[in-house]
Amino acid sequence: MNTKTDLDKLGTAQAALLAVTVGILALALSNLGAEASKSFQISIHNIGKLWIPGAEGIGPYSGKETIALIAWLASWWIFHSLLRRREWNNQWVLAIFLIGIACATTLLWPPVFSYLGHILG
Amino acid sequence: MTHLEDKDEKTSKDTIIALLLVMAGVGGGILIVSAPAQQLLGESLYSIRSAFHGLFAGIFMITATIGLYQAFRLWSCAPLNIREIEVGSLLNAFSCFMTILMGNWVYIPYRAVGGPKSHFLENIPEIHKVFFEFKEFAALFTLPLAVAAAYLICRYGERLNSNKQLRETTALLLILTFFYFVVAFGLGAAITKLKSV
Repeated sequence: MNTKTDLDKLGTAQAALLAVTVGILALALSNLGAEASKSFQISIHNIGKLWIPGAEGIGPYSGKETIALIAWLASWWIFHSLLRRREWNNQWVLAIFLIGIACATTLLWPPVFSYLGHILG
Repeated sequence: MTHLEDKDEKTSKDTIIALLLVMAGVGGGILIVSAPAQQLLGESLYSIRSAFHGLFAGIFMITATIGLYQAFRLWSCAPLNIREIEVGSLLNAFSCFMTILMGNWVYIPYRAVGGPKSHFLENIPEIHKVFFEFKEFAALFTLPLAVAAAYLICRYGERLNSNKQLRETTALLLILTFFYFVVAFGLGAAITKLKSV
């Protein structure tokens, strides 16, 4: 829970921003892993089956969603604990956020992840 | 005098709301009894779930567009009604979540044997392998972006009026939510036109 003083700094906002970056990159990397390795694909599908209703029909996508969700929420908690009473340079945080989003978008463009998955696999 | 005017206005509002509710009830009742709704939804076994996915995507389109407008106000340092953007951002995050939830539900028949995925892979594989796969990931981007925007707006509240960096950061989140929504929605609509569940 933030106190009034905590909100005088940007740390709480920066934690939320960085957590989005981590969650989206986790989605991109789990998809790349699934493209590169059949056993990884089966493993993440099993993760999805643990809690998502109908995950059998949804396929490995359910596991990718789960990994992204866990990475997003866990990293949010960690960054929030680290930053809630202070702040990092906001320019740097915004740069990390935007570069992270751009990297994740590129990695999730199918011709790119198919090519990389073929190389890594 | 002012007090009397307020009272009159309240009375008119109550009357209007009561009449609208009666009209909605009568209209809704006639529709339920007489409208051939199944014909409208189509004969697919999955018509209900795809209708819900489309419904929430439609609501999300509205809230994300309002979010884009609020982002412009944040970016340009226009005066803000914090309560208004708090409610808007929460609705935006909620409609985003529901769209993804319903998307998962409709993804099952999409992938099923004989579903659109098999159809595309047999006839035009690029539709699934490039456009659908990108759409399903772009759609997921919107949830953390919309939730983070709502969180910042609700958490910082009135501070948004005075902190430029905070305003720019929140505006950025709302703009990106809109962008990834448009990518997912546009591709989803185009793919559904080719073959629906």
